Amino acid sequence: MLVAQLLVNAIALGAAYALCALGFVLVLNATGAVNFAQGDMVTAGGLSSVAAASVLPMPAVVLMPVVMVAVGAIGAIAAAIAYLPLKNRPAVSVFISTIALGVILQNTMLAAAGPAPRAAPPLIATRLVQVYGVALPLQSLAVICVAVLVGGGLFVLLFQTRVGQKMRATAQDRAMAAALGIDVVRVIVLTFTLAAALGGAAGVLLSNTFFVTPFDGANYILKAYIAATIGGWGSIGGAALGALLIALFEVLFPALPLIAPSLARLPAAAEIFSQTSAAIALYIALLAILMLRPQGLFGETARRRA
Amino acid sequence: MSPPALEIRDLVVRHAGGTALHGVSLEVRRGEIAALVGANGAGKSTLLRAVIGLERSASGTIAFDGARIETLQPHRRAALGIGYSPEGRRVFPGMTVRENLEVASDAGRRETQRRLEEMLEMFPRLGEKIDTASWALSGGQQQMLALARALMRRPHLLLLDEPSLGLSPIVLEDVYAGIRRAAASDVAVLLAEQAVTRALAAATSGHLMRLGRIVASGAAADLMRDPRLRAAYVGT
Amino acid sequence: MSALSLRGAATPLGLGAAILLAWPFVFASAYDHRVFALSGIYALLVIGYQFIFGHAGAFALTQGAFFGIGAYAAAILGVRYGWTLELTVIPAMLLAIAVASIVAMPVIRLESHYFALATLGISQVALLVALNWESLTGGANGIAGVPGLSFAGIEATEGMKMAVLVWAVVVVGGALAWQATRGLYGQAMRLLRADDIAAAACGVDGARLRLVAFLLSAGYGGLAGALYAHALRVVSTETLEFHVMVACLAMAVIGGRARVAGAILGAVLLVHLPEWLRDFERYYLIAYGVLLLAMIVLAPDGLIGLVERGWRRISPPSPRSTPAPIPILGRAPVRHDVPALAVVDVSKRFGGVEAVAGVSFVVRAGDIVGLIGPNGSGKTTLLNVVSGFETPDRGHITIGGDSVDGLAAFCVARSGVARTFQTPRLVDDMSALENVAAARAWRLTPSLPSAISPRRAAHMDQRARGEALGLLESLGIAEHSTRQCGGLPIAVRRRIEVARALALEPFLLLFDEPAAGLAADERDDLARRLVALAQAGRALLIVEHDMSFLLPIANRVACLEGGRLIALGPPDEVAHDPAVIAAYLGTGRAGGMD
Repeated sequence: MLVAQLLVNAIALGAAYALCALGFVLVLNATGAVNFAQGDMVTAGGLSSVAAASVLPMPAVVLMPVVMVAVGAIGAIAAAIAYLPLKNRPAVSVFISTIALGVILQNTMLAAAGPAPRAAPPLIATRLVQVYGVALPLQSLAVICVAVLVGGGLFVLLFQTRVGQKMRATAQDRAMAAALGIDVVRVIVLTFTLAAALGGAAGVLLSNTFFVTPFDGANYILKAYIAATIGGWGSIGGAALGALLIALFEVLFPALPLIAPSLARLPAAAEIFSQTSAAIALYIALLAILMLRPQGLFGETARRRA
Repeated sequence: MSPPALEIRDLVVRHAGGTALHGVSLEVRRGEIAALVGANGAGKSTLLRAVIGLERSASGTIAFDGARIETLQPHRRAALGIGYSPEGRRVFPGMTVRENLEVASDAGRRETQRRLEEMLEMFPRLGEKIDTASWALSGGQQQMLALARALMRRPHLLLLDEPSLGLSPIVLEDVYAGIRRAAASDVAVLLAEQAVTRALAAATSGHLMRLGRIVASGAAADLMRDPRLRAAYVGT
Repeated sequence: MSALSLRGAATPLGLGAAILLAWPFVFASAYDHRVFALSGIYALLVIGYQFIFGHAGAFALTQGAFFGIGAYAAAILGVRYGWTLELTVIPAMLLAIAVASIVAMPVIRLESHYFALATLGISQVALLVALNWESLTGGANGIAGVPGLSFAGIEATEGMKMAVLVWAVVVVGGALAWQATRGLYGQAMRLLRADDIAAAACGVDGARLRLVAFLLSAGYGGLAGALYAHALRVVSTETLEFHVMVACLAMAVIGGRARVAGAILGAVLLVHLPEWLRDFERYYLIAYGVLLLAMIVLAPDGLIGLVERGWRRISPPSPRSTPAPIPILGRAPVRHDVPALAVVDVSKRFGGVEAVAGVSFVVRAGDIVGLIGPNGSGKTTLLNVVSGFETPDRGHITIGGDSVDGLAAFCVARSGVARTFQTPRLVDDMSALENVAAARAWRLTPSLPSAISPRRAAHMDQRARGEALGLLESLGIAEHSTRQCGGLPIAVRRRIEVARALALEPFLLLFDEPAAGLAADERDDLARRLVALAQAGRALLIVEHDMSFLLPIANRVACLEGGRLIALGPPDEVAHDPAVIAAYLGTGRAGGMD
């Protein structure tokens, strides 16, 4: 019972992380640059759903398309001011410019919404539902369903449509894509838009269970980065899987004494099995991966071009 | 008489390594296969890259079907009807053969499908691999794919950079048969090739490049006998 | 002292000094003095950050963490033992350096994005530890009651005294940083951040240089943190939060990445920005972000870059005292008993492609060996294997009789192997003289102490410049020595690269298409110079496509095709070898029409 609830919560968290990480990887593939403001897109999504709900008191699942469009527009602006002017400069310039963009976004949100933590409306409702006799939180189940739908939509867009083909071609070889008649600037702006919309969607999914404040972005970008590293830099499926692993670890590790009560009798169990030590362990695992398997847990050994 | 499909006048290109093209002029007409030959580093690839727009020209003009294109972005030039198959093929490795072809088409779904079938007819071996990721293709298959991809927009001008590189003789025959078929359908072909004999045998005209200049031009058969040709390669 | 009387490299320091002297008198209130002191603390933080970010060119996001670690160390020692700044500052710096040296192990070799994000992760760990280790750090409440700023028993808690003390430290720290990076050592760093491959080819140990820069950053960060703890007397987890790092980054970008004066300018400006924009309290951080974004897009060299550019327009830089050309002494003796280069059965694969397959040959002192072959036949890969940029999968390489298997490229360069590149890899915004002198750095100022010692550094700097000029002169390009390399024609750039290669005192020289892009008379000149190098006892291996250039000067020619050696012998023989002709003209295996 407890384990099932924990698992559902962990998968829900992982699914939301995955959407944010997918956006991060899309931009990374298309431009070779880190979009550090991707985490702030999550915050923007959370706060926009709070704002939208205050105007239009509806379940978040209804508000979500509006939020995605709004945050997607921010992504397009991000591309125009923080990426395109720097597209011929070293990739680190874009990293810095998106940090600057993050500062702007965070403080604009602070000015607009204030520093107090807010909660977005639930996707449908917050209550427990019985599934095969197990009481599970409806919100978590809804989050999983919506994330799967959004992720599936992304998959269809990338792999079943001409636009998606153009995005992938541009990511794989930008100059060649241009030489074949693809307007790569348009495709890249579109990629930023889509990535931001995915971040916004993640924000809607996260901001009911977790409160949202204007400065949460750094946390989410780090999660996206760790997911991308675990999954193999640039791998879309790997990033989603990495996000899921992170969430499982984050939720299950502090809960170990609940699952196995004998652990709770360990000296300093409260310190060992805390959120903080889970986060620290996560970063140390990340460093170990970078050192030992820079291609990621699931990535193939990077093929070098002859 | 209609203007040549491609008309280059006094083209100069510079990059970090120095001046790559020192005032190159040439013309290619529809139905003609023009071979650019010369040793590595002579400027053949640079010339093709400058025509499609991947290399900025410092001066000189490039006209396509009589209209100047040297200031256009690469995707605009491609949209006008220029197909390009680069050195090293550069197929999109994570995409299937079908996707590589579809993404290069500007037509609607049905017309794209028709062109795709046309390509598969021309290169039956690609048909066997239609849903294979293109990184898994052999070098020859990748070369055919690059050529077919360059034809998906039904270009009037085809730029081919080293289509024979690393191919076995049999595959090479297929690739060249494809090039001849393209030219026969009233396309202008500009072909850069290190394998001189092969290229000139297929071409109608030839241009010998050395150190960023065209040093000899003429009918392909004449150029083949030109002593400057051997000198340009082997230095004797 | 007037800034106007200072020229050239001294200008930034003079500017900084002028600002430093003028500012406290412009603002009078004690509060303003405290704000000014705070900007000095940030200036130190940014001066430190410039080592890793500006000079070594690695985008680290740990500087905020070093600041926080220094602040916590000073605060804990101050509160527990009543220690004042004199006692806490060293442990604070050492702790930051210790943390840096531990985290450097996994991350220092990572590529840019990995490095940036990994260092950000480390900062996050520091923050979490501080939040949760309440018994030591006071958790979210932080630590209050830190002894106030004082030095040598003199209290400096009042605004003016605080500002004077802090800025005195800034002057010392800034001077040290300036001294460490202005000479040869700094030129090696410039080379490293502009082009790490060229740096390795010049014998620069990039990993070590980057590590030193990272530790210096940490030391300055710890120092700034300790000052902060004593100045504010309160330390909280805010010192470890990401916005400290963002502030530091913004100051470095807005001020200028690699100039002490830029750090000072950026810190003073951004610390005072909220004061000036007090009426827009809620929006000033937005302005901050906009400013950072605008600077990175419009003026990547920062304000100091703009100032310097303007300055150069007003008073064009008079060249530093022109050094007298000096010959390089102590060149390694030429050995004729062992081959300069022996390649034995070397193979290298990339993925499924065998780029080099079982190649063996030797090059002796005084030899010119030409390496030819069609496109993609493995010539450049072979050069890369010989110079240590690629590790062969099989086979052995000896240089001057010693095995170099497994040596890093910079070690191979130091053992007497110099190379040039297909496209010359020079630093565009350095003068020809500096480009060549940078290749002397590892020999003349190999370590940080030698760079900081003003007399030794100045002497070695002068010597390297003299030697560089001697080399440029011997190649007939002395008149270009003070020009920036970016604007020079290709023929001159190629010769500068040759001069830089000779600066390594090599006995084996590897050339990758040295004649490409040269006009006929320039090629003839190059050919004469290459022959002279060989006659002086050096061994030359030359990759070249232009046979009319190569064949007359080579003793022997090796031809590669598909990674294999298909011919090796005197130039005439190889040029008429049917296999070679077939490889080039495509009449053999690839064609088959004849």
